[in-house]
Amino acid sequence: MTVYLIRRLMGLIFVVLAVTCLTFIIGHAAPGDPIQTIMGFRHDPVEYHRLRHLYGLDRPLLVQLGDYLWHIVRWGDFGLSFRYDGRPVMSLLLNALPVTLTIGLSALALACAIGVPIGIWAAVRQNKAFDRVSMTLVLLLYSVPSFVLIPILLSIDIWLDTHGYPSLPVANWGTVQQAILPILVLAAGSAAYIARLTRTTMVGILREDFVRTARAKGLPRALVVGKHALRPALLPVITFLGPAIGLLVTSTFVVENIFNLPGVGFTAVTSINARDYPVVQGTTIIVAVGVAVMNLIADLLYRVLDPRIQE
Amino acid sequence: MDRSAAGQLAPTRQNLPAQGTDPEGESQIGARPRSEWRRSWSVFAANRLAVAGLAGLAILLVIAVVGPLVYTQSATDADIFNLTLNAWPSPAHPLGTDKDGIDILARLLAGLRVSLAVALFAELLNIIIGVPIGLAAGYFGGALDFLLSRVADVLFAFPGLLLAILVAGVFGASIGDAAGGLGRLALVIVSLALVSWPLLARYVRAEVLSLRERDYVEAARAVGAPTSRIVLAHIAPNVVGLVLTATTLDMASVVVNEAVLSLLGLGVQPPHSSIGIMISAAITVLNINWTESLFPGLALTLMVLCFSFVGDGLYDALDPRSLR
Repeated sequence: MTVYLIRRLMGLIFVVLAVTCLTFIIGHAAPGDPIQTIMGFRHDPVEYHRLRHLYGLDRPLLVQLGDYLWHIVRWGDFGLSFRYDGRPVMSLLLNALPVTLTIGLSALALACAIGVPIGIWAAVRQNKAFDRVSMTLVLLLYSVPSFVLIPILLSIDIWLDTHGYPSLPVANWGTVQQAILPILVLAAGSAAYIARLTRTTMVGILREDFVRTARAKGLPRALVVGKHALRPALLPVITFLGPAIGLLVTSTFVVENIFNLPGVGFTAVTSINARDYPVVQGTTIIVAVGVAVMNLIADLLYRVLDPRIQE
Repeated sequence: MDRSAAGQLAPTRQNLPAQGTDPEGESQIGARPRSEWRRSWSVFAANRLAVAGLAGLAILLVIAVVGPLVYTQSATDADIFNLTLNAWPSPAHPLGTDKDGIDILARLLAGLRVSLAVALFAELLNIIIGVPIGLAAGYFGGALDFLLSRVADVLFAFPGLLLAILVAGVFGASIGDAAGGLGRLALVIVSLALVSWPLLARYVRAEVLSLRERDYVEAARAVGAPTSRIVLAHIAPNVVGLVLTATTLDMASVVVNEAVLSLLGLGVQPPHSSIGIMISAAITVLNINWTESLFPGLALTLMVLCFSFVGDGLYDALDPRSLR
């Protein structure tokens, strides 16, 4: 276990280094002079050199990279934003991160809460009506990209609103109601995948001997399915959590930009358009590291839940 | 099991739990031995969804190529003498007009061209980069394999579309200024291929690792065939099925990813059309006319389903082991 942990941590460090260096290179290869962009049409060589020095752009690129890495490791300092008058990137990230984590993790939890029961019930009722209907819907839902789902949900919401029924707010951030639609959209794809995964695993498990034994000694079906078979059936779902988090990143970018949520994806895209590269670098690194850390957690969870995995 | 095949595969459709369809039995006593490709085709043709997907793609391709030639309304300009904004479908505009008064059918046809062109060229680029790297890493192994695998690992470290978003976003504006709309389209293709190739290279590498230990390769080596001949004539043809299946399945994600980039404002730029632009514009006027988002969404979903069905059909027919 220790060896495994050390290996995974080394992998994590590799990811952080790789992402940081590549992002740094892309940010600095970006065409255009960021200082001139900040200064707009003003022509003031003294101020120009002062700003250039403030952002450290007057030093050799390798020195800048080394300094950038060192500051991240030592102080969690991602440099200064070009756009927000030299505000530290870290403070922008700290504002954005809770939004993204809230909707991302809620969506993941919701996806499991919806997908697993549907999958189990479909497996129990294998080839019956519920199984057929739910699995067809699930396949459809899985193939529909999140941003195709958004207008459909929003149209329903607007219809409810105009006909005087209770409806949900369609944009911005701050209240619980405003988070519901984005979370639903994010959860849909993963829920569909999890339902299908759970069904396939459960169908296999229900044919196994230990299930037959449990039934034969008179245990009720609910107990056999809900307890004995559930634990092994959950293992593939946990394996899927890692890739699911990676997939959620793309959907989060889309959802945050459509629903106008001030999360990491929204910050990243606005910064890209404003050529605020320090913020772009910061958001990219935070997202990549966050995903890597959550992958590690999902992996450790798997090892805890599956006693068969030993060294 | 090889290290590369485990772990962080993107959950594409090939590792969706399969529901059924066994390939047909092969034993036909006394029949003339059929070629491998003929056999694969009969398996593919027996899969109704795959054939439907292939037909759907052919129809979409014809519509995308011929459509704008037949249906000549402008996809970039409104009919200013007869301006109707956010119009519902009508004989003058079969799918209605958007918030600028531009015909939606014309925009959809143009967007379909973009989607299919990006899917095609991104996969071509994906093959051009991914296959040689996978072949080299798998066949030669050693330091070269280590180096190439680490390069792929660096790109794998970026989750989802993040790298493509970064590249398309950072270089988009200046390439758009220098090379216009086509330059922007090329950048989208390059950034999407950048995300795709490491996975393809990994699949090819895993396949080559097992192929190079086969007896016929050993035999070719024994009779003194040069390395180039072994790789190109004996190994490369055996990864064609794998590459075909993997790239077809990847096309389903590429069309979605292209839409994501333009939806975020980082891909194709207005006034040019793309399904992503159409959807993001339609969302702002949902309360006026909800049909505007419907057609691009349907077209995209249709494309995704067709690519997935064809990919699944190829998967059953060609049975590429390294994709499992």
